[in-house]
Amino acid sequence: MAPDPNRSGTSAAKDDAVAKKKVENEDLSDEDLALKQQLELYVERVQDPDQGLQKVALESMRQEIRTSTSSMTSVPKPLKFLRPHYGTLKAYYETMGESDLKKYLADILSVLALTMSAEGERESLKYRLLGSEGDIGSWGHEYVRNLAGEIAQEYAKRQSEEAPIDDLMELVQQIVAFHMKHNAEPEAVDLLMEVEDLDMLIEHVDKTNFKRTCLYLTSSARYLPGPDDMLVLDIAYTIYKKFGEYPNALQIALFMDNLQYVRQVFTSCNDVLRKKQFCYMLARHGITFELDEEMVADDEDREMLQEIINNSKLTEGYLTLARDIEVTEPKSPEDIYKAHLLDGRASAGASVDSARQNLAATFVNAFVNAGFGQDKLMTVSSDSSSSGSSGNWLFKNKEHGKTSATASLGMILLWDVDSGLAQIDKYFHSNDNHVIAGALLGVGIVNCGIKNDCDPAMALLGDYTDKEDTSIRIGAIMGLGIAYAGSQNEQLREKLTAILNDTKAPLDVSAFTAISLGLIFVGSCNEEVAQAIIFSLMDRSESELGEPLTRFLPLGLGLLYLGKQDSVEATAEVSKTFNEKIRKYCDMTLLSCAYAGTGNVLKVQNLLGHCSQHLDKGETHQGPAVLGIAMVAMAEELGLEMAIRSLEHLLQYGEQNIRRAVPLALGLLCISNPKVNVMDTLSRLSHDTDSEVAMAAVISLGLIGAGTNNARIAGMLRNLSSYYYKDTSLLFCVRIAQGLVHLGKGLLTLNPYHSDRFLISPTALAGLITMLHACLDMKAIVLGKYHYVLYFLVLAMQPRMLLTVDENLKPLSVPVRVGQAVDVVGQAGRPKTITGFQTHSTPVLLAAGDRAELATEKYIPVSPILEGFVILKENPDYREE
Amino acid sequence: MGQGTPGGLNRQGLPGDRKPDGGDKKEKKFEPAAPPARVGRKQRKQKGPEAAARLPTVTPLSKCKLRLLKLERIKDYLLMEEEFVANQERLKPQEEKAEEDRSKVDDLRGSPMSVGNLEELIDENHAIVSSSVGPEYYVGILSFVDKDQLEPGCAILMHNKVLSVVGLLQDEVDPMVSVMKVEKAPLESYADIGGLDAQIQEIKEAVELPLTHPELYEDIGIKPPKGVILYGEPGTGKTLLAKAVANSTSATFLRVVGSELIQKYLGDGPKLVRELFRVADDLSPSIVFIDEIDAVGTKRYDAHSGGEREIQRTMLELLNQLDGFDSRGDVKVILATNRIESLDPALLRPGRIDRKIEFPLPDIKTRRRIFQIHTSRMTLADDVNLEEFVMTKDEFSGADIKAICTEAGLLALRERRMKVTHADFKKAKDKVMFKKKEGVPEGLYM
Repeated sequence: MAPDPNRSGTSAAKDDAVAKKKVENEDLSDEDLALKQQLELYVERVQDPDQGLQKVALESMRQEIRTSTSSMTSVPKPLKFLRPHYGTLKAYYETMGESDLKKYLADILSVLALTMSAEGERESLKYRLLGSEGDIGSWGHEYVRNLAGEIAQEYAKRQSEEAPIDDLMELVQQIVAFHMKHNAEPEAVDLLMEVEDLDMLIEHVDKTNFKRTCLYLTSSARYLPGPDDMLVLDIAYTIYKKFGEYPNALQIALFMDNLQYVRQVFTSCNDVLRKKQFCYMLARHGITFELDEEMVADDEDREMLQEIINNSKLTEGYLTLARDIEVTEPKSPEDIYKAHLLDGRASAGASVDSARQNLAATFVNAFVNAGFGQDKLMTVSSDSSSSGSSGNWLFKNKEHGKTSATASLGMILLWDVDSGLAQIDKYFHSNDNHVIAGALLGVGIVNCGIKNDCDPAMALLGDYTDKEDTSIRIGAIMGLGIAYAGSQNEQLREKLTAILNDTKAPLDVSAFTAISLGLIFVGSCNEEVAQAIIFSLMDRSESELGEPLTRFLPLGLGLLYLGKQDSVEATAEVSKTFNEKIRKYCDMTLLSCAYAGTGNVLKVQNLLGHCSQHLDKGETHQGPAVLGIAMVAMAEELGLEMAIRSLEHLLQYGEQNIRRAVPLALGLLCISNPKVNVMDTLSRLSHDTDSEVAMAAVISLGLIGAGTNNARIAGMLRNLSSYYYKDTSLLFCVRIAQGLVHLGKGLLTLNPYHSDRFLISPTALAGLITMLHACLDMKAIVLGKYHYVLYFLVLAMQPRMLLTVDENLKPLSVPVRVGQAVDVVGQAGRPKTITGFQTHSTPVLLAAGDRAELATEKYIPVSPILEGFVILKENPDYREE
Repeated sequence: MGQGTPGGLNRQGLPGDRKPDGGDKKEKKFEPAAPPARVGRKQRKQKGPEAAARLPTVTPLSKCKLRLLKLERIKDYLLMEEEFVANQERLKPQEEKAEEDRSKVDDLRGSPMSVGNLEELIDENHAIVSSSVGPEYYVGILSFVDKDQLEPGCAILMHNKVLSVVGLLQDEVDPMVSVMKVEKAPLESYADIGGLDAQIQEIKEAVELPLTHPELYEDIGIKPPKGVILYGEPGTGKTLLAKAVANSTSATFLRVVGSELIQKYLGDGPKLVRELFRVADDLSPSIVFIDEIDAVGTKRYDAHSGGEREIQRTMLELLNQLDGFDSRGDVKVILATNRIESLDPALLRPGRIDRKIEFPLPDIKTRRRIFQIHTSRMTLADDVNLEEFVMTKDEFSGADIKAICTEAGLLALRERRMKVTHADFKKAKDKVMFKKKEGVPEGLYM
């Protein structure tokens, strides 16, 4: 405490007297007492008529407040002692004439109001605006924080009164600048959100803080309502672009589904290497995107980039991964069942060689060897001399079983268009319609996610859509749907809508056509397609509407609006005019599809409301409603976990049609992400007395473990296989689930979310939803003769890898750390983004919730998100040690 | 919040659900006895149904809009759950049915029930149990008992005749520990402490602030201190400060004296320490105050008797609880001792006890404050000049000053005066100082 220069000797006596009084009243130490008196003196002086004296007093008071450093646990002492004088100072302030001194006093009053002002008075802000507008940070962090809070209130008030806000915005400007300089980006963003002026952020961000700012913005966007979220993302996009973080900007552009922005990213970036990375990101997202001259000037470059977008190198990368992890050896279904680990009884069951078990083996074989190009059932023999063994396996299946068997070849040769088509070709000449249908479907599967300039799928399948035989037609239509998902191909629209318009077409053909159209035009809101499906639905007779396959018509309609929120409303209105039987079902499907992946709580509430009714008329719309809850809530982690809780309630109270859908919803929520609590719930449900609930639970066990090789789920399924060894339907489900768990020998994932769980691939989600809707009526569809709907899962299959490539796109092995991702939003300093990591060398597998970072300084990744294909460039500053 | 309900209810609901479906018995004929769910032993580490029903954690700890939004999202979902459950209860009241079921279960359980111990789980439906007296029995487990919570060693309820397991006793908090919980806050507050400003500030920063404002530490990017040790001469206010902390905090306050941790039987002491910290964790945020820690925390050396070894083991458990493998969340520890030099260095290392707060003998200013505090409620004669005692060169502790004041008051009483004079104080001071210096056994101040 510096002695006050103004203090005259005469006051000493008075001090003593005061001191005595104070000692009796309060218990203060000497220093405090001195301080208190001094402050009292200042207060007196401030009211002195002499301006000079006033000024000095104010100055020293200000000094006193600023220099007081005390614990954060209590109010600073000068403020405490000035409390009783707040009223007098305030009164005096009102009487003062306009001058600099008045402003000074206003400053001090503003600080005092920090502790004094009554709730809602906002005096701190009031005096601040009247004050001298000096450096805002000089009064300390607490003061700024308080001021920011008051501004938010004042802003809301003025907004309702439509009063001008210019003076406020000036202050906001100062506060934001202060926050951004002091590592308090979240606070700056919060304040700007309150005053609805996020644009201001752009001028304040700099190299050091834009990343944290953008991270905060993007993670807030998930939880903000209505148009705000897009606004926030827009700002984040602008900031990223401003600082040349194009990969992040592209991510946001994709999240907003704004192709204009995607183009902008391409045009504003000049680096070809980066553009290659963008193409990889687009390819992973699974959207169709044509590069033009404006985006890439050079023809050769453009061709190469387009090739990356077309995914034509995907199979190469995948096989590299497989070679590196040494899993190229094909596996037979028996390797997956591992029957020898079970007790005696099961082996007896295994010997039963029924058609259904062969069909299950076909699927298991297809899932396990997906994309590897070789297996032990379908491909072996075609090369070996003893031809017929493959034929044997094919003909071990009956009728429609042959369709799936032939199509499984497509799955095994997934993504490998050239050799795939060559191997499938021979089945086109079969005289068995089912085999031809399978071959057609197989061609579609091979081309899934791959675009090729010669359009082999179109050329091969195009002619078969109008054949006589329904199974061939379905095969061709479904194949086209899978091959061209998301492409919005006009030619296909004409071809397929014609089938829908044909009133004589059988129901199953129409159903699969609707789905294929939905997949091809996923999320496009295409009016004409919607019309075609709507008319087709209206034309159906009442008895046809009761058929299980009819559910694909509304679903196809729903897929058109996948994730498009409000755009669905017009169609939803039309759907109200449908036949009563399908109306609600259609309504639920449309609603859930339109809001899929948005996390919109109101829609969840709506869907939950539908589930809370008890039906007596055997309506079926609650199934899609339950799935809808999962589809909407899967957008973010919190909603996901809370939805799991809500589903528990549904299990308790719901009736059978709800309980059957709950396991599937759980499967969708935790797809390829075996959470222990969900696993337990599903394991419990897999013994349910209602066999359909049990089947759904078993399939879902496969879905949550898809591509993880999770030993616990595998063990559970093995036990289930012995438990259900006499029930062929359930055993079939168990086998399928086993195949899913070992999907691609553990190299694939079904998760539609990618890029740090930020983006959702629409085609992948569409594929999953279609398969799950089919599972709502397990007995009629999957266990009936339409088991090939399981192949819709191929749309969601993606290698869960990190493959680093050099500048020439050749695989490059570098050490990386892989660990559990940590949420670092709003954390101070430079926190670790992963925890519990292990160091591997690429290519590596990434499990759900994993994140990778480079463990070497030698290279710099072109994209900050280390997933899928990542291009590395050499670090020019790197020095060998 | 009703956190425990969903999982719990569901489990109970399951057997009920099965009843309506009992019709299709034919299918079930060939099914093996019971679904091979996991055996109770394996899941000891899990926290039972509570773990499943727990709300997700919200990540940015600092107070920002994102956190608000996330918490609101959780609230929205909880409201929806509430709405849904309320709807269901309205449409399909389960209250009566549940009541009926409950009375049936009560019939099956019979009364009185005997309390026993689960020795071993044999299979899904059978276990070996023992009661406090007599032999062990192989008995059945009734279907309504939640098997997920059964684990070897837990306390169970048994039917009084057939001894089958009919329920389990959930609350297994050691009664020794529940006594330690401070239910009624002590009367001493920070205002009753003379001086010690720095010490108060330190303890507030280290103990109170991390519990009330964790985001401050998060912002700056440090881990808050886990605990503090208060040390200093006898009578300098260590326990008083702890009382003040207990008075001001709304966190659970557990207080133990070091000697309480020493138990008669081998292994009981460490068990008590474990139990203490487990309870603290359950009731977190909480503050554990261990007074006179030198009773268990002395330096390790070759112990000659089993008793000493046991004391050392108790300390080792304490070490582990303070900074062991499992992280303690919102549990802060305050230790107090007047012989810090005799404590084991492992106990005091940073990470276990991050802050050492010394309580010095009061200086002149503090002495004045302490005199003021103690004399504030006494009727003093006009001639009393406390400054004389304040300025004296003798070494007083806070407790000495209190003793002087009390002694002076007693002297005045002896002479039937209503006021305490300066002479009384002088005499009292001489008496206290004499006793303190002249080897009268310590602690016999009066």
